[in-house]
Amino acid sequence: MSVPVGHYQYDRIDRDFLQARIAEFEGQVKRRLDGTLSEDEFKPLRLMNGLYLQLHAYMLRVAIPYGILDSRQLRKLGEIARRYDRDYGHFTTRQNIQFNWIRLEDTPDILRELAEVDMHAIQTSGNCIRNVTSDEYAGAAADELVDPRVHAEVLRQWSTLHPEFTFLPRKFKIAISGSPNDRVAARFHDIGILARPGEDGAPVFRIFVGGGLGRTPVIGEELFDSVREEHLLATLEAILRVYNAHGRRDNIYKARIKILVQAIGVEAYREAVEAELGQMELDRYRLTPEAVAAIRARFAVPLLEAPDDADAVLTQQRRDDPLFDRWVRSNTHVHRDPGHIIATISLKPAGGIPGDATSAQIGRLADLADAYSFGEIRITHLQNVVLGHVRKDRLRDLWLGLSEVGLAEANIGLIGDIVACPGLDYCALANARSIPIAQKLGARFADTALQAEIGALRINISGCINACGHHHAGHIGLLGVDKRGEEFFQLTVGGRAENGAALGTILGAALPEDETVDAIARLVDCYLGLRESGETFLETLTRLGHEPFREAAYEAV
Amino acid sequence: MKRPVRLEAGQKLVLTANRLLDGRTVWWREDGGWDLRIGQAVLLDADVAEAALSRAMEEAQRKGVVGVYDTAVLPVVPPEPVTVREKIRAHGPTVHPEFAVETAQ
Repeated sequence: MSVPVGHYQYDRIDRDFLQARIAEFEGQVKRRLDGTLSEDEFKPLRLMNGLYLQLHAYMLRVAIPYGILDSRQLRKLGEIARRYDRDYGHFTTRQNIQFNWIRLEDTPDILRELAEVDMHAIQTSGNCIRNVTSDEYAGAAADELVDPRVHAEVLRQWSTLHPEFTFLPRKFKIAISGSPNDRVAARFHDIGILARPGEDGAPVFRIFVGGGLGRTPVIGEELFDSVREEHLLATLEAILRVYNAHGRRDNIYKARIKILVQAIGVEAYREAVEAELGQMELDRYRLTPEAVAAIRARFAVPLLEAPDDADAVLTQQRRDDPLFDRWVRSNTHVHRDPGHIIATISLKPAGGIPGDATSAQIGRLADLADAYSFGEIRITHLQNVVLGHVRKDRLRDLWLGLSEVGLAEANIGLIGDIVACPGLDYCALANARSIPIAQKLGARFADTALQAEIGALRINISGCINACGHHHAGHIGLLGVDKRGEEFFQLTVGGRAENGAALGTILGAALPEDETVDAIARLVDCYLGLRESGETFLETLTRLGHEPFREAAYEAV
Repeated sequence: MKRPVRLEAGQKLVLTANRLLDGRTVWWREDGGWDLRIGQAVLLDADVAEAALSRAMEEAQRKGVVGVYDTAVLPVVPPEPVTVREKIRAHGPTVHPEFAVETAQ
């Protein structure tokens, strides 16, 4: 027996609005095609509907609120990939999906198809509040303190079409987690929210502001430690108002909230927010227990029934099958129900394109979600897919099903689990290609036993300073740069997005593209030679400093 | 305003844009039309490129293209763009050989 997937629910007003918005955009497309609208006039309109013009075609970015889909929605995404694109989609670092080969005149039809399953592409671009991201293990993980989906949905409703925040100085990204283990990179967001139970059991929220990557990477600073649930929206509203009023609009490179927070200091920002709160009608923004309860009811935990011997069955299957055991070690996480487990499905096959999935794979994922996880799917900000509630005694069957479509790579959190932006192969902003380097690294470290031996090591690759591949947050980061028309990569080490967030620091001069993979291989060899028992890459780096790694990376240059 | 392309010895200019309907990369032909194949692009010297660019931009809507600009190429057959970015635009994404663009004349 299954219950509906926990996520937002549309009513007639939502659906009517989407249809009206699509009709409006269809009219705008027609006027663009007949020349009534110039490209300068049309560009902001298409961007407000998630449509970019990239190197080879239009790209449509579809919102996946807090990364959660039901199988019906995922199947629709696969159908769109097959019918309107080139048979694949690309899952992004904001838990969204992008289609890279879209025709302008097809876009209204695609939006209608998305609307059939209560999806859209609104606020996936532009200077507004973008898709709110959350923990991919939400509502399932054993280490969770507060289910962040409930408040992620509150934030979705609050931020969608918010009239005051539709034309901010710059784009605005919010992440929310309810675990003591930060899986959302909270301190690299414009606003990062960590929920925990308060003394009375009701949730309270620790709020960071002014984090971000891009050309000015900054770790967010704590604005408030314990915002009460009833004041969450008022507080966020006040933070946005201060930014909207004082954020710079004269220079796109200095327009993010992080620049404002750095310029005036977090103390002054806090005072400004408190002053704003002091003159707001707080009752208007009060998040009532009834409103939260109504939303929480949509996130019912599925009926988690499992046989008494589910754990024993899994244990025996792991003993019998070393390959399966390796996958379980790297690709699963502890569920709060002892009979269930969380499975992370890698979209990083050795030598493959990080985050890409074919329409056949997308369709199969939907089928497997129906069969093994109550028809629910989560997209991670690390470009993978999670099935949140898999019965332990059925996990091997799921793994076998994944193997049939090339989705059983055992590399989550390991060196093969590379995060990469689309880079210069698609992106109009990029300076260098991210994907080929990711493919070469993936192939170089294809051996999953070697990956397990290396242990926790994240590589993030960005094709330009905009940092969509989050290279500053990678244990090893690669930034593509253009030197007189040639691709080079700058290496950083020591970044981390999890607890103890840190920015990677530059190891040395940028390397030519064809020397980069060898340099990273030498760096990894150096770590393997120098580490002490049980030490991770980051721990060895912390103990020894950069110098041995710099020498190793550059020894042949 | 886009900076003028600085040509090195032996290089020529071509005009490029994206097709309005589907965003595909196109190249300006001698007859004023646009073509998916860079092999069909007319090679321009710097002294005539400015006038050609102005004309192509004026005609962009009527010809169904967007984002017209000039870029440097080596005058081989087919012309080879100087930058990695324009090579990728001319040949297609390097990570999907099956999407390679026909470039010959």
